[in-house]
Amino acid sequence: MPDIEWVYIKINGIALKVPKGEMIIESAKRIGVEIPFFCYHPRLSMKEGGANCRMCLVEVASRMPDGSLRKMPKPQTSCSLPAAEGMEIETDTEALNADRRGVLEFLLINHPLDCPICDRGGECPLQNNTMHYGPPTTRFIEEKRHFPKAYPLSQYVVFDRERCIHCARCTRFTRDISGDEELNFLWRGADMEVATFDHTEYNSRFSGNVIELCPVGALLSRPYRFKARPWDLQSAKSICTQCSNGCNIKLDYRLDRIHRVNARLNEDVNEEWTCDKGKFGMDYISDESRLKTPMIRRNGELSPASWEEVLYLIASELKNAEGEVAGVGGAYSSNEDIYVFQKFMRETLRSKHIDHRMGPNFQSYNSGLLKRFGCPAMGNPIAELEDMKSTLIFGSNFVDEQPILYLRVRKGWRFKRNKVVEAAPQGLISEEIRHVTQFAEVSLNYKNGTELPLAQGLLAALFEDKGRPLGEQKLLSHLSGKNVAQCASETGVDEKDIRKAAELLATDKMCIFAGEYVTHSPDATAILEVLGDIAVLTGNAGNLNVPVSRNNEQGAMELGILPDMLPGYVEEQNPGMNTEEILSACVKEDLKALWVMNTDLVKEYHNSDLANSAMDACPFVVVTALAITDTAAKANVVLPVHSVAEKWGTFTNVERRVQAFCKAFEISPDIHAEWKVFSDLSSMLGSPMTYADGKDILNEIVKSVPTFAKCGPNTLGDEGVILNPVAGGKE
Amino acid sequence: MAELKLLLKYRDVPGIENIDVWESCGGYEGLKKALTMERSAVIDEMKISAVRGRGGAGFPAWIKWSGVLKHTDAPHYLICNGDEGEPGTFKDRELMLKLAHQLVEGMIIAAYATNTDKGYVYIRGEFVEPAKSVRKAIDQAYAKGYLGRGILGREDFNFDLYIHMGAGSYECGEETALMSSLMGERGQPRLKFPHGALPVDAGVWDSPTLINNVETYSCAPHILRNGGAWYASMGTERSKGTKIISVSGHVKKPGNYEIELGTPLMEVLDLAGGVIGGKLKAIIPGGSSVPILPAEKCVGVNMDYESCQAAGTMLGSGGFMVFNEKTDIVILMRRTAEFYAHESCGKCTPCREGTRWMFKILDRIVSGSGQPSDIDLLLNVCDQIDGRSYCPLGDAAAWPIRAGIKNFREEFEYWITHKKSPIGGDCVPPVPYRINPALIPLS
Ligand SMILES: Cc1cc2nc3c(=O)[nH]c(=O)nc-3n(C[C@H](O)[C@H](O)[C@H](O)COP(=O)(O)O)c2cc1C
Ligand code: SF4
Ligand code: SF4
Ligand code: SF4
Ligand code: FES
Repeated sequence: MPDIEWVYIKINGIALKVPKGEMIIESAKRIGVEIPFFCYHPRLSMKEGGANCRMCLVEVASRMPDGSLRKMPKPQTSCSLPAAEGMEIETDTEALNADRRGVLEFLLINHPLDCPICDRGGECPLQNNTMHYGPPTTRFIEEKRHFPKAYPLSQYVVFDRERCIHCARCTRFTRDISGDEELNFLWRGADMEVATFDHTEYNSRFSGNVIELCPVGALLSRPYRFKARPWDLQSAKSICTQCSNGCNIKLDYRLDRIHRVNARLNEDVNEEWTCDKGKFGMDYISDESRLKTPMIRRNGELSPASWEEVLYLIASELKNAEGEVAGVGGAYSSNEDIYVFQKFMRETLRSKHIDHRMGPNFQSYNSGLLKRFGCPAMGNPIAELEDMKSTLIFGSNFVDEQPILYLRVRKGWRFKRNKVVEAAPQGLISEEIRHVTQFAEVSLNYKNGTELPLAQGLLAALFEDKGRPLGEQKLLSHLSGKNVAQCASETGVDEKDIRKAAELLATDKMCIFAGEYVTHSPDATAILEVLGDIAVLTGNAGNLNVPVSRNNEQGAMELGILPDMLPGYVEEQNPGMNTEEILSACVKEDLKALWVMNTDLVKEYHNSDLANSAMDACPFVVVTALAITDTAAKANVVLPVHSVAEKWGTFTNVERRVQAFCKAFEISPDIHAEWKVFSDLSSMLGSPMTYADGKDILNEIVKSVPTFAKCGPNTLGDEGVILNPVAGGKE
Repeated sequence: MAELKLLLKYRDVPGIENIDVWESCGGYEGLKKALTMERSAVIDEMKISAVRGRGGAGFPAWIKWSGVLKHTDAPHYLICNGDEGEPGTFKDRELMLKLAHQLVEGMIIAAYATNTDKGYVYIRGEFVEPAKSVRKAIDQAYAKGYLGRGILGREDFNFDLYIHMGAGSYECGEETALMSSLMGERGQPRLKFPHGALPVDAGVWDSPTLINNVETYSCAPHILRNGGAWYASMGTERSKGTKIISVSGHVKKPGNYEIELGTPLMEVLDLAGGVIGGKLKAIIPGGSSVPILPAEKCVGVNMDYESCQAAGTMLGSGGFMVFNEKTDIVILMRRTAEFYAHESCGKCTPCREGTRWMFKILDRIVSGSGQPSDIDLLLNVCDQIDGRSYCPLGDAAAWPIRAGIKNFREEFEYWITHKKSPIGGDCVPPVPYRINPALIPLS
């Protein structure tokens, strides 16, 4: 942390100490002085597009070199005015009130004032500021600017140009944050309008954020448009389930319907953003297709049944199976569900055959990482990524695999001049040209499948660089005797580029990301070894990140839905079968029952033929699900379980942060929490489990799993807590 | 004080656009002299000359020059502002069209003085012919070794000069908007001191940047050739040297006239052959952005920064517009307002919304639908724009209207009461301005 230089200023006569250069609008907040604004946003750059609305004007007297005070002749925008020693600011004078009335009058002359039918009505900064500071009437009697009302920008965003106040928040967002630069202004003066290039579709992974940023009802959500008024909505703190990043969100709902998803601030995770998968992908919760009663296969058809009936059936089938049962899935269930599931399988049913993994790779690279670096997935917390001087994105379609990590890395590049090196298979770079490639210092565009030689090339280049220690024989062994030139020709990457990349990596605060092209590779373990070597060699051991991608995949690892690991990565002496072995055993009719935990196995498992045959061959398949998926359609019994909106629980995100989500509503009393199903069955099978609720279970996890020791229901707070390091892992 | 040709001295010499003719008139002597001096000594000459920026604001040139020279690390850039969009001003056009070598020489001197090796001449998009002249001058200067690597044998002095054409926006003459435009961005201004860095500290591509007007650079060869003290011997106490005044409107001989600063305003009128078509009604002395002077206030005003200011107007860019008694001031103001509404870049609320509103009110008045409250409304809208906008274009839109009302209020009242021009029949308002109807639907 560089030392902060403090300056003394006065706001409305109150003396205060603030960091030099802090914007006055922020300094005013420190003493509870509110300055109205529209365009200001602390995460958007000021230099190019800011300070345009002129709502935040203040009067300023600045201190001259001779110590005298000089009043600036014009009012100044406090959102762009850096605090300097001795500055004296007034925020509440008659003249300023007139200025604010003036700005609001100007903004309203072309504003349609159709608040009664505007989605933003009720939570609109323009309404609010007008109520507080605005003129009661207008003197404008001319014709207003007119545009067609609902202009679709994309599948998700619709634009009402008449309402736009030209604050440039949306345009700056696409440049400063999402990086797609899709929105900019067209024309000029009062004809100016926000538009995409040549009126093409607004194509962005993060478009939903501009809806929240827009201070008026100009940019609107198409799915939400006209669905509700904000004051009719209730809101539940929740966590996005669409990927492993774990964005903090608010589920806004009425009765039992989700109407919209807004971001919830978490400086350590998503800041105040979400991606479009999250913002527009949570409507499955209140979808018509939700299953509302248990289903049982009778005469070849699934038909409704009572819980009593199905639980009795399942209990007797599982009892008869005598341990010849297996469980797959879990990456979409809460930590509590996962914990109770593995306990039920291991202790009640006495089966070790459980696995959540669906990809082709069962070499358990996680445990490899664990042994070497003591970290089973990400070595760096998300918030740290923006401070990495250099980041290697290796074999990843990063923006899609890890949207929020992508935004952090980009933020470091955009605002802190960090460097990014990208290594991506040919084809990917041109398709995703507007993402990492756009700001990468070097892009290594390798022949498909040559991840290993490319990683070796980078390592070799680091060794050949005279400044590196050459003694690390163990690391050298992973090179298989190759030099940079050989690796360059194998991968089709220019040798100069490999060297340039290696040079950029040779710094402190360097971190590496390995994406799905690594983890799905047959060479995954070897590639990760070499990437690990690069981290060690550059003095960044531990900064190797192999992020998981599904909702609670990290939780499934941490809490032992693995055949070889108990919760907290305690090694299982005699491991059970992994997913592939389980499915093969089903086909060979070596298993009597299979439990699929809230996962569309036949779609998600990389080998769908095997998954299908396993489902067909296994005599008794139970599926917990939200709706009848392809997998559920093949089951003997389907059990409807709660979505994230219907219970309290926790997920573990990609950086091992445990975060709580809250119950919003109940859709039907006949939908149960997943853990409740396991605990009921366990009790029926003679091993009583008496959890009252999710918090009860989390308390047990906290007591029994050391990595979770700090994650009690009352300590998680709004930001969540990162799990303890795994004991004894470090190399 | 009277007409004094310095920059325009060789304007009418045949073939002056060719480098050898320019050299035979003493061209590139100033540069050669500069190269015998320390960089800082060149700036000292500029300081002694006390030449001020001719783009409108009148800021002392040497302060900017030394501001760039003091940076020793980053690359420096030099920009010539040839966007000349101010209505009534057409001096830079002629300086570039006929005396491009004078400008190029001035820029090379500035490049040497500020230790800069890249420069851009940003030329208004419509100025195709002037740009061709500048192109020709640059090419000839390269051929003679005045531009390029190791200029005139000086290993430590390289300078490349490029032309960048504007795309038709008045606002791009504003220096920070010009820099945005030069960098390929939308032509909108950037934060200014104390909100952002000064161009001399972080201008284009965040590097120290010197930006001056065409006329400002064009002074440098003369100052270097003859010495700063010689230059400072011309003009008044605080406004040194000469200034080119572009005279237009109801005069016999419109055109560019170079005068010694401090020359009486009425003498400029005489230079241009006096008013035609009736008695003098008013003069706008410094381009459309400055307040209008009614005839009775013109007497006793001198053409220098201080005297103009004391008279309640400004020397500005020297766009001297003369109006005879048949001019309808309300229609003039409507046209002025139309210009600013059309040229507002749209970035900030007061200017974007206020300029269009002012135009709509004035348009309504001359369409016969004025209301008694409109005059105070206009004045109030001016107050809401002036000093509240992001860049000076907003102020510049408010000043002329305010001055028009202040000096000719009875004409506005006449229009509002009688729904016709106080001047008489031949003042027909042009077709009302229409907002851009282009609404291209997604297909
Ligand atoms: C709206 C606006 C338009 C301007 N247009 C021009 C112009 O066309 N040419 C110019 O030299 N300066 C123009 N200026 C002034 C420039 O911002 C700047 O002050 C000038 O280029 C500095 O050069 P100087 O110091 O040599 O005058 C304009 C300023 C404003 C606010
Ligand atoms: S659409 Fe909204 S966010 Fe974008 S400029 Fe207009 S008001 Fe601002
Ligand atoms: S990044 Fe992931 S967690 Fe965040 S909104 Fe998108 S899908 Fe949801
Ligand atoms: S005053 Fe505002 S709208 Fe007008 S040109 Fe300057 S920045 Fe643009
Ligand atoms: S909030 Fe400061 S100008 Fe918009």
